[in-house]
Amino acid sequence: MTQVLATTLVVASLYALLGAGYVLVYRASRVLNLAQGDLLTLGGYLLFAVTATVGAVPAVAVPLAVALSALTGFVIYQVLIRPMAGHPVFAAVLVTVTLGILLRAGIVLVFADRIRHPLPMLGWSNPPVALPGGSVLSAFDLATLGTAVVVFGALFAFLRFSPVGIQMRAAGERALLASQRGINFQFVFALAWALAALCGGLAGMLYACNVRLEPSLDVLGLKAFAVALVGGLDSLAGVIPAALIVAGIEVLSVRYGDPLLSDVSPFLCLLAMLLIRPWGLLGTREELDRV
Amino acid sequence: MRRRHSLTLAVFLVAGGLATGGVSPTEAADPYRIGMGAAITGRFSGGYAPTYEAYKAYFKRINDAGGINGHPVEITYEDDRGEPQRAAAAAKKLAESSILMINASISATYKPYMTEAETEKIPLMFGGGVCPREAFPPASPLIFCSTSFGSKWDSRFALSFIKEQAGGKKVKIGFAAQDIPLSRIELEFAEQLAKEMGFEAIPVVVVPGAAADFTPFAQKLKDAGADWVFSWAPWGVEIGVFEALQRIGWQGNYLLYGHQQTEDELARLKAPNLYAFGGNALFTEALPIHAEITRIVKGQTTHPPHYMAEGWVSAMVLEAALKQCGWPCTREKIAAALATVTLDTKGLRGGPIEWTADNHYRKTTYYKVYRWDPAKNAIASVGGWTKLDIK
Repeated sequence: MTQVLATTLVVASLYALLGAGYVLVYRASRVLNLAQGDLLTLGGYLLFAVTATVGAVPAVAVPLAVALSALTGFVIYQVLIRPMAGHPVFAAVLVTVTLGILLRAGIVLVFADRIRHPLPMLGWSNPPVALPGGSVLSAFDLATLGTAVVVFGALFAFLRFSPVGIQMRAAGERALLASQRGINFQFVFALAWALAALCGGLAGMLYACNVRLEPSLDVLGLKAFAVALVGGLDSLAGVIPAALIVAGIEVLSVRYGDPLLSDVSPFLCLLAMLLIRPWGLLGTREELDRV
Repeated sequence: MRRRHSLTLAVFLVAGGLATGGVSPTEAADPYRIGMGAAITGRFSGGYAPTYEAYKAYFKRINDAGGINGHPVEITYEDDRGEPQRAAAAAKKLAESSILMINASISATYKPYMTEAETEKIPLMFGGGVCPREAFPPASPLIFCSTSFGSKWDSRFALSFIKEQAGGKKVKIGFAAQDIPLSRIELEFAEQLAKEMGFEAIPVVVVPGAAADFTPFAQKLKDAGADWVFSWAPWGVEIGVFEALQRIGWQGNYLLYGHQQTEDELARLKAPNLYAFGGNALFTEALPIHAEITRIVKGQTTHPPHYMAEGWVSAMVLEAALKQCGWPCTREKIAAALATVTLDTKGLRGGPIEWTADNHYRKTTYYKVYRWDPAKNAIASVGGWTKLDIK
């Protein structure tokens, strides 16, 4: 049972990092970023590319790949999403769908469709770590868990205490009012996209080091989308219990039920949530109307 | 003005040269028209795009050297992305203009190609994807398969190998399949066969290809007490479950089918308890044919040369059949030629590929097992080729 718990925490951490990306973008700009799964894949490939370029220097390669992930989000907003201002929201959503397709094609074009493993290139290994209670996790399982904790802690602190974070919340709630108060909401939106891409990129890098890197990792984004909806699209805090519930059901269905259920369990959770509480665990009714 | 006229004249001369004198006799001759439907892009392309690349490199060399029987081989490639709907459109298009269709895609695309083959009476050769039962005796007259792996026979070999390795010790065996019909059916067959062979068999664990984490599946196998795990699935699941088992400290042995990635992955993981079996010799054996492939595909593929083996053998079969078919070569004639193909695989396989009127898989199939040998600090074969007669 402790192993089930440990595995659930790891899967939940991955989903939470991805889910945070959906929520950050939605909260700030009311756009559903359906390319979040592709930003995960891109993050993994950025780590791979940077490592191949600068060599096995993790102290340089990892921060550089993380920074490039964030920069990608910033650029996506400025180039693709910002010009959509004034158009219906669904147009921006369609842009993210197109972006996802283009990212996938671009990745195959540049990196080919082979499975890659950045970990040995970084000179790192991924040994099993025995935990109290007899469960075992890999070093990168623990890194995924730790990263999720740190990222969420940092995001909560940023949104709660930093001036830019407060501006981001304000712009998310009333963009017009925020701009009249002198908030550069375009910058704030771009920052939200950068943070979302950073979260997705981090998830991709960790997954690539822990499991594998291939162009089709975007499917993880779909599961995390269910997590974001279960938690409430406008609630960062909602992502945490939602990720735990979705991951828990997924792991339990493998362990005690039909493993094939694990593939659809996130969507079963979503369906159940839509029937019981359509605005999500910690989301608001008003946001549902906006969606 | 005069300069402009001179330039125009030069362009016409160059163009004229290209259109007439610059053409080799082979290019001027009518081509053998072949159609290939492959998962060149898309979610499943990793296992099939190398076959497409191998074909391109192989027949570029053939055409550059004068073609076959004085005629170039013109292959039309259709990217079906491993999607049945696209495959149906691709099959229709290829059947219109080809004497032979080749499929290098996932099993979900087989039905449309086979339907088209049946309707249009055009032979269909599988080269890269798992061989369908229609290629095995008694074979359908139009269906052929050069792929190294084939259902049922692979499991027969795998279980015999595990039994031999166990040396009379009772083995508890687990199975890791992917949630695709072929993988599930094969491993359910293996589970049944294992029981008949005296193994203690754990029910097949079916793994969704899109699983975020393979650990729960691995945990299920570990908790069930598997000494050996056998996996026959696309590479991602095969190796993903093994690595997850490793991460949770499992100490048993793992046997998987060795796809193109085997060589890279055995070297990456350096795990002596990971065994990979297959029908193709790894390039670590450094045979002359391996050096030849490496030289020919240089600069022409996005994959390493050792990914080409499967496609290369298939292309060799096609070349042999076209030579035998002569000119003009019709659909009937190429089907007849394929049905009597005997191909020396030059060491890429354990022996020749021989097809007969009712056996379009091969009369004899060969397997070899590889693993990482810590003593040699290299990939080593576990014994030589094992031969199985296909009846």
